[in-house]
Amino acid sequence: MVRIELKEVTKEYRKVPVLQDVNLIIEEGDVYGIIGKSGSGKTTLLNLITGFLDPSEGSITYTTSTGEELDIEEHHSRIKKHLGFTPQHNSFYHKLTVKENLLHFGKLYGLQHDTLIANAKALLEITQLFDHRNKLAEHLAQGMQRRLDIACSLIHKPKVLILDEPTADLDPLLQQEILHLLQDVNQQGVTIVVASHHLDSVEDLCNKVAVIHNGRVHSHGLIDDVKKPFLREHFTINLRSGSNKELLIAALRKLPVEKIVDKGSQLVIYPLNQPQHIEKTVSSLLRFIKEENLYLHDMHFRKPTLHEVFEKIAQKPAL
Amino acid sequence: MNTLWLLTKKNLTLLLRAKTSALVVIFGPLLLMLVLGVSYNTSEPYQLTVGVHASGSGEDLQKFMDGLREEGFTVITYDQSIDACVQQMKLNIVHTCLNLPENFAVEGNTQKEITFYLDPSRIHLVAPIQNVLQKKFQLQVQQTSQQISQDLLSRLTVTKTTLSEKKSLLALAQEKNNFAANAAGTAQNTLAGLDVSVPENNYNTSVVAALQTELSGAQEKISQASEVLEEANISGASKSDILSLLSGAGAALTSAAVSVSGEENGSSTGIASVISGLESDLQITKTKLTAAATAVAGSAEQLSSTTGALQESVSALEGMATAINEVQANLDAQKVTDPAVVAAPLVAKVEEVAPPKTHLSYLFPILLVVVVMFTSLLLGTTLVMMEKNSPAFLRNYFVPIKKITFVASTYLTTLIVLFVQISVILGISLVFMKETLPVVPSLFGLLFISGSVFTFLGMSIGYLFTSEETSVLASISTGSLLLFVSGAVLPVESISPVLQKIMAFSPFVLAEKLLRQVLVFKTSFADMGFDILVLAGYALILLLVILIAESLLHQHLAHRFMKHRHKIHRQMEKREKSGGM
Repeated sequence: MVRIELKEVTKEYRKVPVLQDVNLIIEEGDVYGIIGKSGSGKTTLLNLITGFLDPSEGSITYTTSTGEELDIEEHHSRIKKHLGFTPQHNSFYHKLTVKENLLHFGKLYGLQHDTLIANAKALLEITQLFDHRNKLAEHLAQGMQRRLDIACSLIHKPKVLILDEPTADLDPLLQQEILHLLQDVNQQGVTIVVASHHLDSVEDLCNKVAVIHNGRVHSHGLIDDVKKPFLREHFTINLRSGSNKELLIAALRKLPVEKIVDKGSQLVIYPLNQPQHIEKTVSSLLRFIKEENLYLHDMHFRKPTLHEVFEKIAQKPAL
Repeated sequence: MNTLWLLTKKNLTLLLRAKTSALVVIFGPLLLMLVLGVSYNTSEPYQLTVGVHASGSGEDLQKFMDGLREEGFTVITYDQSIDACVQQMKLNIVHTCLNLPENFAVEGNTQKEITFYLDPSRIHLVAPIQNVLQKKFQLQVQQTSQQISQDLLSRLTVTKTTLSEKKSLLALAQEKNNFAANAAGTAQNTLAGLDVSVPENNYNTSVVAALQTELSGAQEKISQASEVLEEANISGASKSDILSLLSGAGAALTSAAVSVSGEENGSSTGIASVISGLESDLQITKTKLTAAATAVAGSAEQLSSTTGALQESVSALEGMATAINEVQANLDAQKVTDPAVVAAPLVAKVEEVAPPKTHLSYLFPILLVVVVMFTSLLLGTTLVMMEKNSPAFLRNYFVPIKKITFVASTYLTTLIVLFVQISVILGISLVFMKETLPVVPSLFGLLFISGSVFTFLGMSIGYLFTSEETSVLASISTGSLLLFVSGAVLPVESISPVLQKIMAFSPFVLAEKLLRQVLVFKTSFADMGFDILVLAGYALILLLVILIAESLLHQHLAHRFMKHRHKIHRQMEKREKSGGM
């Protein structure tokens, strides 16, 4: 499975649309984040991708490495062998040990004994659960349980790993643990689709995102591409100018900036809205500083975070 | 107090809002009561099925069977033999069997036998059946005894009437005999008075001989004279001779005349005298005979009357004899003469169709089914609920395993536990009931089928309910309901006939029946084919229901599961936020 394509996918519950006209392409090796508010349809979208729900309209196609296109409704049995799914909450047997859980699910996928043992061992190591392999799952710490859950989803070496809120209910440290784990998994060639409302985590982990708002995909693609429309509102240049602040302000006023805020030792510059203005402002500013031989203590650019972008989107009324 | 009420109100609200809980907790027992109420709300006597085999088909038998039907029994007749009935009794199709004689008419001094067949393994039914049938039997005995007594009395009445009627004949005969006796006496006297003495006179019959001689001499002389006359040329001499002869003849005739007259010598010895004497005697005799004839005529008349009287008497006596013969025949027709038979013309014999055993042996099938039912129901339900509520439920959806495999694993798990449990129970039971050993394989077979039905039933309940508590409660309620209407606790024979027919197909009843047949009667599988098929059919139907439910509900359940988890997650988030604030 190298590619997942959703075409005009709509899902309705009792004739009430939950998702409408979703068009997405998830390429092999992507770490694709699906973000949205609670109840926005993230989980529904994941359920559609996994084939757990059938779309009311549209199609979801998995393309194999040989170029064969498989519709999920028709080839669900075949496709799900290559899918790993980690739901929002732990999905393993609490009364089985770590090892027993892995072996149990591995056997359900029909793995040969040697393969299963090898996979289990590798996963125990990658998830750092090897030392805890004989512990009952219920006795593991929260982060370990989450790792075990992911390990259970990976025991059959799926091509695609789909995760629903993998970092939910975890403290920041544990969240980081999981993110690192997922990055490791992705590096092994597994395509990851993750739905989360922890936007910072998504931003750290994913290369692409789809923002779901009011049942529609508001924007999707590379994270920078998604952020682009919001740069004007959130891109700022922070300067610590030193003694020649007045000179600097006078020079900056000649640049395509919207406003300059003097915060004492710091100047915050808001460029004009268009991206080309931002680039122009930055290059002009750098040239000006060089020409005028001004002294800058510090200067940094700040792009809007995914969180800010999402908040901006979320403020938009329903379509 | 307010707090208490507040909490109570909250509990009630929660209970009612959890629909399935409310359904089971509140309506479950009500439903149970409703079913039991409807089932047992009848004052009708036990609905028992009686199998009857009779060697005849007389009116009294029909009447007896009609009587049984009127008592509320269902009567099934078996024409071939009682064995067929006993076999069906073992199969629980009939509750008791009656082997009746060709009729209830007792025609000799031998009591007729009615055989009751009872199944001692149906402990709660033995006494009621025995009581009811004993009552019916006693009634029949009473009727038959009454019939015999009636016969006896009728015969006595007939005898009495006959004798009374014929008593006049005796009087008549007596009268006639008296009359005949008197007449005979009179005739006897008359005849006795007759003078039938013969005169004793002596008659001198030599006169007659002398006369005869003289007559013979005269005849000879005449003859000679005649010859002389013929030969001679009548000469003198000859003439003289002739004359002499004739003279001699004359003399002889004279002498003969004298002899006849008897006048010679003045004696009365002549023939005349004799004849006179004879005439005299004859006259006397004639007189006597006339008197005798008169007497005889009188006597004849008397005797004629006597004959008439005697004939009448004979007729009367013949009539009497006929009457007596009739009476005798009537009395002879009374075959029952033994007072014991008159008092108890029918005897009841009770035969048990199962070998005598302890109560434990009889209760063992029920105990086994109760164990199997509750174990299977609860395990089936619990395992399904465990799987449904397991965190791994959703993951299982994504594994490439057919749904039927999960169903089969639940089923197999239950069977393994059940197998262990049953093995322990049977192992212990063998200590007390060694005779069970040969049927252990059959028992396992039947328990496997029964266990399958109850497991699938329990699993169905598990799929129906959402919470483990309510589903377990539902399982227990279902088990209790099956137990209550099985006849193990309350007699199923006392519920309404329609429900009884339905309840006969309850899996508990079928399982208990099959186990009882194997344990008590050692019935072969072939003879229990129908019931086994019904049970297996239940298992199959329930399996199909589970598979359909699985296929319809799995996605729904998984979705609900996810929503439920999602909800918990949101609640936790909210709590975290509010805690942070």
